[in-house]
Amino acid sequence: MLATKQPVLRRFWYPAMPVAMVNAGPQPFTLLGERLVLWRDGDGRYAAMEDRCCHRSAALSKGWVAGKTIVCPYHGWSYDSAGTCVRIPQRPDSAGLKGSAVKSFFCEVRYGHVWVALEEPLAPIPDWPEETDSGYRRIDQFYEPWNCAGLRLMENSFDSAHINFVHRNTFGDINNPEPPPRTLEPFDYGFVSRADLPVLNNELQKKNLRDSGDTTVRHSISTWYMPFVRRLHIRYPSGLDHIIVTAATPVADGTCQVVQFCFRNDTEQQAKAADIIAFDRKVTEEDREVLEGTDFDVPLDMNSGIERHMPSDQPGLLMRRMMLDLFARHGETEQTRHVPRQIAAE
Amino acid sequence: MLVTQQKILRRFWYPIVPADRLSNALLPFTLLGTNIVLFRDATGGASALIDRCCHRTATLSKGWLEAGNIVCPYHGWTYAGDGHCVRIPQRPCYEPGKGIFVESFRCSERYGVVWVALEEPLRDIPELPEYDDPAYRRVFEFYEPWMAPGLRIMENSFDNAHFAFVHKASFGIVEEPEPVPPRLEPHPAGFVMYADVPVKNPDIQKANLGIASDRTIRHYEKTWWMPFSRKMKVTYPNGLVHIIMTLTAPIDDRRSQVIQFLLRSDSEADAPAAKLIEFDRQVTHEDMAILEACDFDVPLSLTGERHMPTDQPGLEMRRMLAKLFAEHGEAEVRRDGPVVVPTLASAAE
Repeated sequence: MLATKQPVLRRFWYPAMPVAMVNAGPQPFTLLGERLVLWRDGDGRYAAMEDRCCHRSAALSKGWVAGKTIVCPYHGWSYDSAGTCVRIPQRPDSAGLKGSAVKSFFCEVRYGHVWVALEEPLAPIPDWPEETDSGYRRIDQFYEPWNCAGLRLMENSFDSAHINFVHRNTFGDINNPEPPPRTLEPFDYGFVSRADLPVLNNELQKKNLRDSGDTTVRHSISTWYMPFVRRLHIRYPSGLDHIIVTAATPVADGTCQVVQFCFRNDTEQQAKAADIIAFDRKVTEEDREVLEGTDFDVPLDMNSGIERHMPSDQPGLLMRRMMLDLFARHGETEQTRHVPRQIAAE
Repeated sequence: MLVTQQKILRRFWYPIVPADRLSNALLPFTLLGTNIVLFRDATGGASALIDRCCHRTATLSKGWLEAGNIVCPYHGWTYAGDGHCVRIPQRPCYEPGKGIFVESFRCSERYGVVWVALEEPLRDIPELPEYDDPAYRRVFEFYEPWMAPGLRIMENSFDNAHFAFVHKASFGIVEEPEPVPPRLEPHPAGFVMYADVPVKNPDIQKANLGIASDRTIRHYEKTWWMPFSRKMKVTYPNGLVHIIMTLTAPIDDRRSQVIQFLLRSDSEADAPAAKLIEFDRQVTHEDMAILEACDFDVPLSLTGERHMPTDQPGLEMRRMLAKLFAEHGEAEVRRDGPVVVPTLASAAE
């Protein structure tokens, strides 16, 4: 699948940038190959617009905010947050404003991030009650581009079998490679998956989890929000909740912007945010090393013969099937550069 | 010519790495645009596989070796040197031989070098009788990537006219730019070229060759090993033989991996290896500086570049490559696409 060539993917919400970055001034961001400017007007309203002035195509993200408008750096044409050109400084009589506009996209702020949908969203931004629950804190963890397909990162998140290899130096046990069973309950635009994963508990985690055992069990409830967001709710035996939200926002076919934050029901005195980030950093670097070596053109048709499968791949295969179903409902077929080949006769 | 677009070039042996550098580690390499991984299997033999797990496409060269098998870093699927999957850790009942494998490539060791062919080779690795002749010592010179296609490196090796300019600081005689005409003869590997070329003999070479004069003569016997390797045998007036083997593998359209070693008829006491390498490094750096700035898309037809008589060996290489392509039903592919040449049928009309 080549994400930029599937128009229906434009109809989902994606977290694009931490709000603090946008507060500092207009920022460029590329979503599904579309160049955007993200900005906040003087009234605190956030906007995502085409990053291209309708006059001479200059990048508005190199301009500045004046009151309720963003000002083009080239000739000062000014646009409001709906994308309408409201001022052409060279024509004070307002002539030329009619019909001058840039495209504006769906834009909301949730969970400390600016979310964007390029077209009418099919599903709402997920509701995560911990955001407003005083028993939880939110820790922003990562914001960085990865050179892999968003779908690879999603599949990886629900793949219990990779833990004992990719994470053998953090919490996986390479001598115990058979993954435990996992449940899958689909909903309209995603699924929920449960698994109890026995894991190793290293020194940093003993501190972070306040659990001195050398092993522990992760009771995990993972939710996939189609196409590229997941929420991993880990509950440890002590009752500690570590809830990781990871988005692989699609920048281009081979690049995604990883946005990760977590919710915890403990306090900074009990576990330092920096230590929590440090452990999750190590884990995500392990994933990144492997995922950036994979082919970004993930084949959705499991019978294409392009990839081999095993039972623990089921969550990823369900994602692929649900994506194919989504495309079919919207009159699309999978776009790929692969030539399908037959599976060798066994 | 874009080498990655010419399928027939997949049917040659290419020198990938000096054999002693392939020890206990996985070696990723790109050959004609194909990502492969080399390693020593359980028998100690060199193996080359596609660098892509058949499960989720992870890069095998980021994995590790276990008892001569390669372990994928993603889920631990394990492959033997022949590419067959021998272990799926998540499926203890898995029996090897169930048709789960990654592509493997022919791999061979000759002349202290590991060679790979991506498809059924058209011909054997060329003969180099002096390699096992005790009259010659072996001196390894270098192993490195050049930002130049193999064909430019080959043409340069057989071009008597460039010495006076490119090598004016080492052995070329800039005052005598008119080159010695080469004589070509057919050879099973490609062709062989003979020429007797007067050269400058700087101080370092006086010692290396045991020749005290300011000038000397190089009796050249140069063999082109189609497509991108050469043997350059130089005999000096005092009988000394200096053979430079320059073996190159095409990484992609613009890059080559180069292995160079010497076979010499003298001893370390006569001329220390370090001094031989020092002089040859100077010479190869002179070539590299020019070749890396040339267009990598070398045209096989006579149009597109100007020529002179001493370009003949290079033009013969182009002609022989074009003939090879035609024999296998391929058109030369350039940046702008395939070169349209009249088919036999339309030529007959």
